[in-house]
Amino acid sequence: MLVSPYRVGVDIGGTFTDLVMVDARGAVRAFKAPSVPSDPTEGVLSAVRLAAETLSIDVGTFLSNTELFVHGSTIATNTLLEKKGAKVGLLVTEGFRDSLEIRRSIRENVWDHRKPFPEVLVPRYLRLPVTERIEHDGTVRIPFDPKSVAAAARVFAEEGVEAVAICFLHSYANPEHERAAKAELKKHLPDVWVTASSEISPTIGEYERTSTTVVNAYVSRRVVPYLESLAARLASLGLPRKLLMIQSNGGAISIDEIGYAPASLVLSGPAAGVGSLKFFGEDTGSEHLISIEVGGTSCDVTLMQHGMVSMTDQIVVDGYHLNIPSVDIYTVGAGGGTIASVDGAGLLKAGPEGAGSTPGPACYGRGGERPTVTDAQLVLGRLKPGPYAGGAITLSLEKAVEAIETHIARPLGLSVTDAAAGIIQLVEQNILHAVERASLEKGYNPRTFTLVAAGGAGPLHGPSTARLLGSPSLYIPRLAGVFCAFGMCNSDLRHDFVRSWLKDLDKTAISGPGQLEGAFEAMQAEALEVLAREGFTGSKAQLRRAYDLRYFGQQWTIAVENSSTDASTIRAAFEQAYQRLFGYVQPSGAIEIVNLRLAAIGKLDALDLAKVPPRVSDPVAHSRRPVWIDKKVGFVDTPVYDGTVLTSHQQLVGPAIIEEATTTLILGMGDKLTMTDASNYHVDIAHGEAA
Amino acid sequence: MSTVSSTEYDPVLIAILQRQLDHISLQMGTIMIRTARSPIFSQSHDFSCFLSNADGETIAQADGLPIHSGSGGFAVRAVLRDFAGRIEPEDVFILSDPYAAGGNHLPDWTLIRPVFVDGELIGFCSNRAHQSDIGGGAAGTYNAKATEIFHEGIRLPVLKLIEKGQLRDDLWRLLLLNSRCPDLLEGDLGAMIGSTRIGAQRLADIVGQLGVKKGNAYLDALLDYGERRMRQAISELPSGTWEGSDVSDTDCFKIVDVETRVKLTIDGDTMTFDFAGTSPQIRGFKNSGIANTHSAVYCALSAFLDPDIPHNEGTYRCVKIIAPEGTTVNALAPAPMTMNTVYPAIDIMNACWGALAQADPERACAGWGKSVFGISSGKKPSGGVFVLYHWHGSSGGGAVKGRDGFPTTSHQMTLGGMFIPNIETYEQSYPMRVHRYQMRSDTGGAGQYRGGTGVDYVVDVLAGGEHLLRGEGARKPTGAGVNGGQWGAKGSIKAFDLGSGEELACPPYGVEEVEPLHLVIEASAGGGWGHPHLRDPDAVLRDVRDGVVSRQSALQTYGVEISADGKSVASTETRGKSLAATPHVQ
Repeated sequence: MLVSPYRVGVDIGGTFTDLVMVDARGAVRAFKAPSVPSDPTEGVLSAVRLAAETLSIDVGTFLSNTELFVHGSTIATNTLLEKKGAKVGLLVTEGFRDSLEIRRSIRENVWDHRKPFPEVLVPRYLRLPVTERIEHDGTVRIPFDPKSVAAAARVFAEEGVEAVAICFLHSYANPEHERAAKAELKKHLPDVWVTASSEISPTIGEYERTSTTVVNAYVSRRVVPYLESLAARLASLGLPRKLLMIQSNGGAISIDEIGYAPASLVLSGPAAGVGSLKFFGEDTGSEHLISIEVGGTSCDVTLMQHGMVSMTDQIVVDGYHLNIPSVDIYTVGAGGGTIASVDGAGLLKAGPEGAGSTPGPACYGRGGERPTVTDAQLVLGRLKPGPYAGGAITLSLEKAVEAIETHIARPLGLSVTDAAAGIIQLVEQNILHAVERASLEKGYNPRTFTLVAAGGAGPLHGPSTARLLGSPSLYIPRLAGVFCAFGMCNSDLRHDFVRSWLKDLDKTAISGPGQLEGAFEAMQAEALEVLAREGFTGSKAQLRRAYDLRYFGQQWTIAVENSSTDASTIRAAFEQAYQRLFGYVQPSGAIEIVNLRLAAIGKLDALDLAKVPPRVSDPVAHSRRPVWIDKKVGFVDTPVYDGTVLTSHQQLVGPAIIEEATTTLILGMGDKLTMTDASNYHVDIAHGEAA
Repeated sequence: MSTVSSTEYDPVLIAILQRQLDHISLQMGTIMIRTARSPIFSQSHDFSCFLSNADGETIAQADGLPIHSGSGGFAVRAVLRDFAGRIEPEDVFILSDPYAAGGNHLPDWTLIRPVFVDGELIGFCSNRAHQSDIGGGAAGTYNAKATEIFHEGIRLPVLKLIEKGQLRDDLWRLLLLNSRCPDLLEGDLGAMIGSTRIGAQRLADIVGQLGVKKGNAYLDALLDYGERRMRQAISELPSGTWEGSDVSDTDCFKIVDVETRVKLTIDGDTMTFDFAGTSPQIRGFKNSGIANTHSAVYCALSAFLDPDIPHNEGTYRCVKIIAPEGTTVNALAPAPMTMNTVYPAIDIMNACWGALAQADPERACAGWGKSVFGISSGKKPSGGVFVLYHWHGSSGGGAVKGRDGFPTTSHQMTLGGMFIPNIETYEQSYPMRVHRYQMRSDTGGAGQYRGGTGVDYVVDVLAGGEHLLRGEGARKPTGAGVNGGQWGAKGSIKAFDLGSGEELACPPYGVEEVEPLHLVIEASAGGGWGHPHLRDPDAVLRDVRDGVVSRQSALQTYGVEISADGKSVASTETRGKSLAATPHVQ
């Protein structure tokens, strides 16, 4: 019997909506309901209904006993991917109409010059000039002329514009003109949703800032009503507290506070993995974790060092640039549905194409003919043919063999087994490179990290990826298949503030740290107000200061978290980070402060999961089957365990297959599994002879 | 081809190795961007990173500017030639000279680090990057007055910069002493050294794991794979002979036609580009050396073919280039050649694209506008030297089937690989104020796919100093149309004294001493692909609404009449007659 109050996390994916609930004693339940892409509110509610039904309570009781309802949704991203956003108008500084369309001419792959840029989100005829100009130091050179806004408003009204973005040159240094334009526009178009760049992304660089602001306006049409309707539905059904959303920064925030910045939800789903990483950090016994979350289409890699997740403020979604504080998630197209192929000159490839959820892998028998990673896993005996996910899918070995035989084995002159193994090796190489980019390029040695394998398809790649990396150990949460939904139950509130500063660090010292302190204090006042509105005060309201710093002349900044305003302390912190990233420092180099950052964090009470009584008996396999383990040993008659009966402190040595409710695990030759205190999977990786 | 057939190799291992080497090259690039000090590296990405085998053949260059690709091998082979038997672990070589050391032009310095496994040389890890200043007759590396390479800056033969792990301090001081921006140079060289160190370690790890013998064989197998891909791509084109050419109108001193001519012969799965008939080398610095000419041909060919053909030197085995000595595509010392990575590289590309377009019109690439902008340099009011590239005056790109030309983009030979800086960042960094930066109207070459428009760029340079002029696209259209598409409009450049407002003379080439300046630049536009009457009428409507095509042009050029309110297509009646007469591309 579960004890209220509950925490609930709901994560909407392409195929399933995951719901995880944790009760007052720390008991966890996970549910998967089919997603309803046409009506995501309905998807959330059906997951809630499923949970309530399983618990034999009504929806009202379930919700009224829920103290924390946290939601992650890909609705912002999907709006962008599916081009279903608002008709957006853009106000720009006169003479600079086309920054959005010129895109700094940033080509992702120069050799592929035939590929068009993604569609520009605001056509030129809706990018209208405003008479005004601010200089780089924030002084006004051309005063703001409200008449030009009035003229633009007439065009917007005539064209049926639904949302307006405002981005003027150097507004990060002086937002007055943007504010005035917004106020003026509101007079003429009171019902149109308006967003100004200085509100959402007050940092230097007009292209990225414009793009961020436009995306914000573009996704608002679907995101804002969705959030409002979902909140209203949940409230009417009995949810006593505000609905919280996971933002790209991995923190939660109430929808009252997110309403002005729907673009900050673009990584809403995957960023919630942070909550899980923080939680499992304790159980793994390591503060240094790298997670690979492998789903149907991609692998998301996230790094946590000293319990802090690596962050960025520059992300690209489907070719659109966004400057918003985000969990630094490195994504590669390496998932269960990734398609393998052989090119005309005989080179094996895995991706970038994927089979998606429809038609899906060949073995799903839904019309997919090309071989995928899942087909290879089936051919290698790591997955079992037959019904899956309650019979929603039936895996056909014959179809998998046929696809691999036709498209890979025959063209390469390999056996079906070698072809399938080659696909797995190649996709694991892609995962390895993603892990390396997330770690080595930031100056971290991945071998000193514990690898965490999550997502439905992640655990099967865990041991070999850890082996390739040279990681000593691997951790797999039992809830791997609902990693993000669980993370939502353990996400603090977080709101990020940024302010452009652009001053010489040493001169800041001369003018006295008071100026810098004053700037931070102004941000803090606002931050504490937001936290108080959310119900976090005293020790539950935490503030973290950071600086974006660089040597003069450089174009890239490094974010350095530091609470000091003393120049030499800041320099030391910067040099330490710089040394780690680049291997050298410029001892006398002038340092420029570019931005001041403040993270306002509302601390939730730590989750405390119910302890599982340890057991010392050896686990018993429920069956055996031939499974391809590695290149050296090939197929081995392998014991198969039911994960739900494994418990704390039990041990196993590979080879083994473990079947969990939401995922399947593999242990390679000699890999040693120990069930952790919280009854998750810790694997000591056998290095050496295994190929 | 290697004597070992591909079937003896594990195809999975080859696939993995290809990815590993590309990964190393990309990782080196990230290190360069993040550690370099000058904006040319970090903002404009004017560099490339590449790996070679022990014979100096390039095996991976995933991170690279197209115009750098294909010439790295010349540099590594110059090291092998000059230091045969004296290449040691922990050595790092540096070079730049296009005549003596396999360089492409003097500002691009190449760092080459040999990679050893078990005491055996197995390859090289290198990068090549444009330095901020290398001395010579003009700040910022481009001396438009040069008539000999000696006027263009310090010449570096193959030198050992680091000898068995020891940096040669004397040489280091010599290099810094020869630059106007020693601080930038020092930071950027540091970035280059660090990047090759990490790349070399990783290459050594990979080959070490395979063992030297097997590792070397697999590196060769990658070259063989590249060769197979290229032969296959060539054999899909018809065999035959086609000619192409492009004409530049100055030798940097006077208006004169300088022609680049090429005869392309496709014979089964091989290809020959013969530049016989190209103009003799010229007085000014738009001469190419053999390495740069190879790069330009490679750039044109790779852009024309499938983008995922690997960019390694195996692909060169079936492509022959004949570049007669003493011409602009293979000049003899001491002809100046700093401009060559832009001109004649673009002329070479255009000549090759012209010939290739006839072999396969579907794949034809319309020409990109040639850029008219120059470089301002001087002293900042706050002290310190600045060198300001006016990238915001960049031209429009050419169309291909399936997309319009990019509105404004870095030079054609980078294929858009150099990013245009934000104006805000530029105004923070340089004494300048931009007044206008937006797309032009009725300029993009009309076509089924329209050429890029180019931009109007109006700027004040607030500090006096020098202004380098090097405009190519200002006197006649330069972005060629293909398959019935029209040429993009020409550009223009006007300069005014900022104080007096008086207009200044703008010669086609040269370095002018200037007071604070007001520049008005119209960037030239790209060419169109296919006949304008085949353009989707809705796309024409959108262009009219966007103000990049006038109503009049819509009617006269595209055969689309726009309604009185400007919001719909009224008629396409005038199209019927002329369409029948249009050579339609299948």
